[in-house]
Amino acid sequence: MVTVQMEEKGIFDQFKDWYTNRHEYAKAWKEKGGKVMGYFCTYVPEEILYAANILPVRILGSHEPQDVTEPHIFAMFCPFCRDCLAQGLKGRYDYLDGIMIAQSCLHIRQTYTSWDLHIPTDYSYYLPHPMHVQSPQATPYLREELIQFKKSVEDWIDKPITNYDLKRGIEIMNANRRLMNQVYELRKKRNPPVTGLEAMYMVVSSQMTDKHEHNRELESLLQKLSTRDIGDPGERLMIIGSEDDDTEFLAMVEDLGATFVTDDHCTGTRYFQEEVNPSEDLLNAIAERYVKRVPCPSKDWPKRTRLDHIIRMSKEYDVQGAILIQQKFCDPHELDTPAIKEELEKNGIATLFLEFDVTVPIGQFKTRVEAFLEIMREEDLF
Amino acid sequence: MTTIGIDLGAKNTKVVILRDGEILTTASVLSGFDQKASADEAVNNALRNVGIARDEIKYITATGAGMDAITFANDTVTEISANARGITAVFPSVRTVIDVGAEEGRVIRLNENGKVVDFGINEKCAAGAGAFTEAMARALEVDLEKMGEMSLKSTKAVPMNAQCTIFAESEVVSLIHQKTPKEDIIRAVHDAIADRITSMARRVGIEKEVALVGGVANNIGFVDSMTRNLGYDLLVPKDPVVPEFIPAYGAALLAQDELNGG
Amino acid sequence: MSTTKYPSERLKSWGKAKTLRENYYRDFAEAHDKGGIRWAGGAWSFDAIPAGLGEDVWCLTGEPYGATVAFNKELALECQEAIETKGFARDLCSYMRNYWGSIILNKYAWPQYSEEFPKPDFMWQDHICCSHAKWYQVASDLEGGIPTFSIDVSVGPYEELTESRLNYIVGQMHDGIKWLEKTTSRDYNDELLIKAVQNEFRTCHYWAAICELNKTIPAPLDEKSMYALYVLGTLRKSSQWTADYYEKELYPEIKDRVKRGIAAVENEQCRIMTDTQPPWAFLKVFRYLEKYGCVSIGSLYTFSLIGLWEDKEDGTWGPRSIPEIEITNRDEALRALAEWNLSKPEWQHFYHPKLKSEMMIRIAREWKLDGVLLHFNRGCEGLSLGIAENRLAIQKAGFPVMPFEGNMGDEREFDLTRTMARIDAFMESLGMKKLVD
Repeated sequence: MVTVQMEEKGIFDQFKDWYTNRHEYAKAWKEKGGKVMGYFCTYVPEEILYAANILPVRILGSHEPQDVTEPHIFAMFCPFCRDCLAQGLKGRYDYLDGIMIAQSCLHIRQTYTSWDLHIPTDYSYYLPHPMHVQSPQATPYLREELIQFKKSVEDWIDKPITNYDLKRGIEIMNANRRLMNQVYELRKKRNPPVTGLEAMYMVVSSQMTDKHEHNRELESLLQKLSTRDIGDPGERLMIIGSEDDDTEFLAMVEDLGATFVTDDHCTGTRYFQEEVNPSEDLLNAIAERYVKRVPCPSKDWPKRTRLDHIIRMSKEYDVQGAILIQQKFCDPHELDTPAIKEELEKNGIATLFLEFDVTVPIGQFKTRVEAFLEIMREEDLF
Repeated sequence: MTTIGIDLGAKNTKVVILRDGEILTTASVLSGFDQKASADEAVNNALRNVGIARDEIKYITATGAGMDAITFANDTVTEISANARGITAVFPSVRTVIDVGAEEGRVIRLNENGKVVDFGINEKCAAGAGAFTEAMARALEVDLEKMGEMSLKSTKAVPMNAQCTIFAESEVVSLIHQKTPKEDIIRAVHDAIADRITSMARRVGIEKEVALVGGVANNIGFVDSMTRNLGYDLLVPKDPVVPEFIPAYGAALLAQDELNGG
Repeated sequence: MSTTKYPSERLKSWGKAKTLRENYYRDFAEAHDKGGIRWAGGAWSFDAIPAGLGEDVWCLTGEPYGATVAFNKELALECQEAIETKGFARDLCSYMRNYWGSIILNKYAWPQYSEEFPKPDFMWQDHICCSHAKWYQVASDLEGGIPTFSIDVSVGPYEELTESRLNYIVGQMHDGIKWLEKTTSRDYNDELLIKAVQNEFRTCHYWAAICELNKTIPAPLDEKSMYALYVLGTLRKSSQWTADYYEKELYPEIKDRVKRGIAAVENEQCRIMTDTQPPWAFLKVFRYLEKYGCVSIGSLYTFSLIGLWEDKEDGTWGPRSIPEIEITNRDEALRALAEWNLSKPEWQHFYHPKLKSEMMIRIAREWKLDGVLLHFNRGCEGLSLGIAENRLAIQKAGFPVMPFEGNMGDEREFDLTRTMARIDAFMESLGMKKLVD
């Protein structure tokens, strides 16, 4: 059972605060004179935005029921893409100077295009992005796209982005990735000093705060974590699936006595695991990073590379059970789930499949998670 | 010139007799298995009310789910056109009509001439607004007529996650088990229906003024939920007809229009 | 009450289209008996490329196959239930589920040619919709592993095409040819590739030319018939038989119908278009529209799933001209093929619904429409992408729109009675009365 000791309570509060008050944070940041870019998918090369001193903010939903998107997005598309658009239509992101997307799944693309149509924004960019990331043609193609994108940003801010700027952008992003990887490394311990909920606050907040500040907070966190002990984790779980910032769900599961020790989410490891390997050609280096990162299932073909990756992670983190959770109607994940489930079970890892909606029926899910944990516990006895 | 409008709905069959634009009488009977017989009965009841012989009727227009069964009608029109015609006669300023009946919900957008410019009819999952309220009244052992009043006494909004009525029913059962006050459950039921109807209305697009018709419009609790959800005041017809008679009234008016040369 | 206004007659080349389609499914089933190769892929695959492997190469395209299954209600349900028990979600592309179901059940939708589902030698797919490459990834798993190559074509709208975007596709094509040679152990024949590319030009041009003739009042073709004709282009657009059929048989016949004033719907008094694939098991919806004298002249979908279009000098929308270029080698052929396909109207909305709205409004004006029926197709997220925005834009342009929900390949998600009721209300709102009961 995880019990966070009194004296250590609060070491993740800053992350939680950034996540909860994301709009206040961005508005205050903007006061200092910079531009804020809302982005829709983690394939967006934030390095170039940091190089241009633009604050990238990932647009996420608010998990409240809404119907303002009814005229804009057909109901068969995922609740996440509709929830995100609702935030725009309700004016909650009215401080954004620009919006952009890097091409990935069709669902979130509709959020971008409807936003582009109905919410006036100074700058809007659709970044074509290779779906065939396993092809040797992908990196040279993305490199050319990044050249065009960089030029477009330069025109917008009316200032060139130098090689020095790009290096800075890469460094700040890489530092953030390195630090979060170090925190995740600690979760491999027998008694991880971090809960899944805390890790989620940490990663998701990094998608909406200035990484200079986020890095400083991570450095101080790492110092505190070295001596932190929050006890026996109970069942070691992994959570796998689509966009997920459903903190309520994670809290519920961990309250039942289990701990998430790692994840495969774009609000988790898929966001930060790989660094850019700086080389002479900086844009090529950035392109390579986004081509070779652990892919979103929409780009994971013809081979399903995530299978090996997930199994490898499950071993490194000594995972006993996996919750496969995805946004309802998320086709790319639905196309991978049966294969992942089979592979995990073949490797002795119990699985539970759940579907997200804008709001989670916490009562129903609790019953299912309890049953899942009970089964795992019974198996432990024999 | 006397005309009749018949609305053969999923639950009730409603009849309006019109003479030179004035409503002479209305009648309503339960829609039975034999739909034509129900229509006959409702028409006969109405004629008897005002002592008019059947052959004095110049034109009959039928509408509603069972309209094709009314073989004695001169013409049929959909509920969309009937509603549009009916509401325009009562409230000429209305641009959006929301019709919530026993089994179906509809949203109709009109232009300044009362012409239909767009409409929506609920998809399967949002079906059964009226029937659902009735089932819930039974489950809660509350008179259907009391549902509205009781829900206004609710002090707490209880969210219902379910997207379809079957799941909603099971959620209501669990609320009962959790000893949630009846008033709050009833409000939750009304909010849930209002939610689904509002979603459809947003799809079609809402323009002022907005009218609410259909049997469920008599339920003040539901009207309250709808008003809150929609963010618009709702016009609910009282005179010359009550909400559930609007389509029959519209059909009778269309019959009259037909005689006046379309 | 019915008044016939226009002469009408059956299409003479109808039977030929039917035969070509049957031959196609037969040839795929019998390919191995003839010592040939068979491959599977999508209707948008670059089928001209495997054509270079020889003249004994036959293919099966997944979308028309999934639609064929949808026509057979029992088989469709069997396929869908089989794939659901494997853990695949019900909201996935219904063609794909029908196709996968065929694999697990080992049942071919054309039992007269083969009881068993013929196993392809390789998969050759394109990718623009999230389901494309993943479709054959799963199919390969279900078949126990079949070599698969997919080409990503989602490089942004045609109007913003750059050299590097084109290179990305052409590069994958070159890689694909090397892969084909390795996978099949055959030498690649560039002459055959060039011939196939030229056939494809003709197919796409003439299909659009046929659709353009539907600007005429009365329309010589109705959409329900067009479905049986455009399908050839989705089976094998680069084949000589498809190109010849469109150019030498169908196009002259439709032109002649226009000249003689032959109508597809004899009492035509109302013209509409639809959008996306229809619910295949319920094409009677179109017959129902005819009771109102309403003809569906087609859709952006039927016009340009295969047909290619361009702006004409007089400002109208017409068939894209066949490129007047000499193709002398593989690279030129591949470049021309990629560039040609990227102008496909049905590929543009993947980047922004406004591109599709513009084309739809254009059709509504140039084909003189009274209204638009939009099929919010739960079975295809690719073509339903942005459809809600299309509805708003078309309405804003002044055309009445009736949306209806359904599913092209899964009849459990279509409600015929309600759709008919909706059509009644829509026709009434357009001021139409039923001409026939």
